[in-house]
Amino acid sequence: MFIKIRRDTLIILLLAFILILCGRLITYVAFASSDEINDGIPISGIIIKGNDIVPVDTIRYNVMQAGFRDGSVIYGDILKTSKREVSLQDAIRSAQEFATRSTVPGTSVEPISTADVQVDKNTGVVTVTVIEDFSSVELKNKTSGGTG
Amino acid sequence: MNLKIFKVSIVILFVFLLTMSSVAATCNIIVITDPSGKDPNGAAAGSMSFADNMFQSTFMMSKVNHFAVLSGGSGSSDTRLDSVIEAVASLSNNASAASAASIASNYQGARLITGGPSIGAAVGGSFDAYVITVNDASHEIKVTPYSSGVATLQPGEKGAIIHLRNTNGNPLYGTADSVRKDTAMNIGKMIRDGYPATTILSEAMGQVANQSGEKYGGGGVNLVSGISTDDMFTPKEMNETGYPMDEEYSKVCDDCGWAMGYPAAEAHDKCPVCGANIKTVYAFEALGDALTVSSNAVSVSAYGSDKPGLAETTTEVVEAAVAKYGYDSSAIANSINRAINNGLLMGVDHVEPKDINVKQGSKAVGVYYNALPGDRSSPSWDLPIDGNILNILGSIQTAVGIILILLVVFRSRLLKSFQNR
Repeated sequence: MFIKIRRDTLIILLLAFILILCGRLITYVAFASSDEINDGIPISGIIIKGNDIVPVDTIRYNVMQAGFRDGSVIYGDILKTSKREVSLQDAIRSAQEFATRSTVPGTSVEPISTADVQVDKNTGVVTVTVIEDFSSVELKNKTSGGTG
Repeated sequence: MNLKIFKVSIVILFVFLLTMSSVAATCNIIVITDPSGKDPNGAAAGSMSFADNMFQSTFMMSKVNHFAVLSGGSGSSDTRLDSVIEAVASLSNNASAASAASIASNYQGARLITGGPSIGAAVGGSFDAYVITVNDASHEIKVTPYSSGVATLQPGEKGAIIHLRNTNGNPLYGTADSVRKDTAMNIGKMIRDGYPATTILSEAMGQVANQSGEKYGGGGVNLVSGISTDDMFTPKEMNETGYPMDEEYSKVCDDCGWAMGYPAAEAHDKCPVCGANIKTVYAFEALGDALTVSSNAVSVSAYGSDKPGLAETTTEVVEAAVAKYGYDSSAIANSINRAINNGLLMGVDHVEPKDINVKQGSKAVGVYYNALPGDRSSPSWDLPIDGNILNILGSIQTAVGIILILLVVFRSRLLKSFQNR
């Protein structure tokens, strides 16, 4: 032995170790059993309804650009994203606008005429309902030629 | 007189050359093997070409109304797009396949193939197509060539339409006529022999890609189940070609399920996991695999959380539960809760039977999750003691432990100071 340690010292050290360990364990159990939320509601997912030809991923990507993405948190009426803080109403309005800008992949066709965005403030679920209308699509005539 | 004939022949040659140069692109195929719409693989369609820019707009599909619009032709991309949109709009308003396909003739050089399991199929505009019909009772295959007007496959009939032309610059230029005929015959035989439409589409696209060189995706759709190959084979950038459908796409190990895509897969000859022989999957086979739905498959949707991997694991768990207990929402909820307790599913709260939406008729199961707040990975424990009390208790214990260590470290000095008093 390098250091002379009396046996009772060792026992007390062991006791202290066990005490700290149990203390940390109980703190963890306290965390695991509490379901209080004190740091806002995170955006948990986007549900998209009503789309037909426009893929879900395109609409989801556009709605995420408005701030409703993983890592964004709702504090009351404020949406805090990784980039900035905006009011929830503004974010919903821009999400609706961005959703209507969704295109058919590989084209500039924007068939979504109206989009409705609902945010559940308790669960963080964003529900996007869109209406596709191909009869009202307007195409800007570009003069580029090409074959397909 | 001779001069006149010469002039006429010159004019004819000129017109011929003109039409040649405007001939472009695209192989379009639509196959319907089950007009009743019951077989999940009963109708499929696909497009590919030697040319650039075969984006998803060349094989559009409506998942709700079960129709597809394939397009191509030599017009500008804008006119083609215009015709596609008009066709989609009219099909959404219950127009017939033939009337939707005839829209193409209003646009310079455009071609449309429209169809669905219940509405039949039709091709219109500028095309060179074969219409294949198979009589259910007599097993008679009829293959008819069309190149103008509107050619239709009547609603309720088993059959297919294939359009194929060669693109300028294709090294296999001039093969289109014979390949179109061969492929049409093969499609007819496969329909007669009872293969599902998705398999037939994949084989036909493989044959066309191999023999006529119109091989760049493009992609395909399964009209009954609403599955598209999306961007599996389409070009990554404007003015590029897509994935060649006759080349290797991935390598798969049948024993353990290992798989890797090209070009990385080229380095592997044996399965790196279990050492078994691996199978090379060509792009047209990958298209068939992606579109084909196996009859006992369950379509599972997970809502409420976008956590990575959640949807995939949920699908596995639900498939296992359905195979074991059938379409029972409480049994499925039990299985999911067990998976959550095991740590298989992370970041979501326990589900109740009411959160499971079961549609036995369409073999679909929807699971509505509640995501857990913050960075939690598993649901909170249900303990009889309040969390705050435990928190205080734990902190006190930790503090006492640290004080004890301090006491031991300074033991001799403390004892001495007590003795000195």
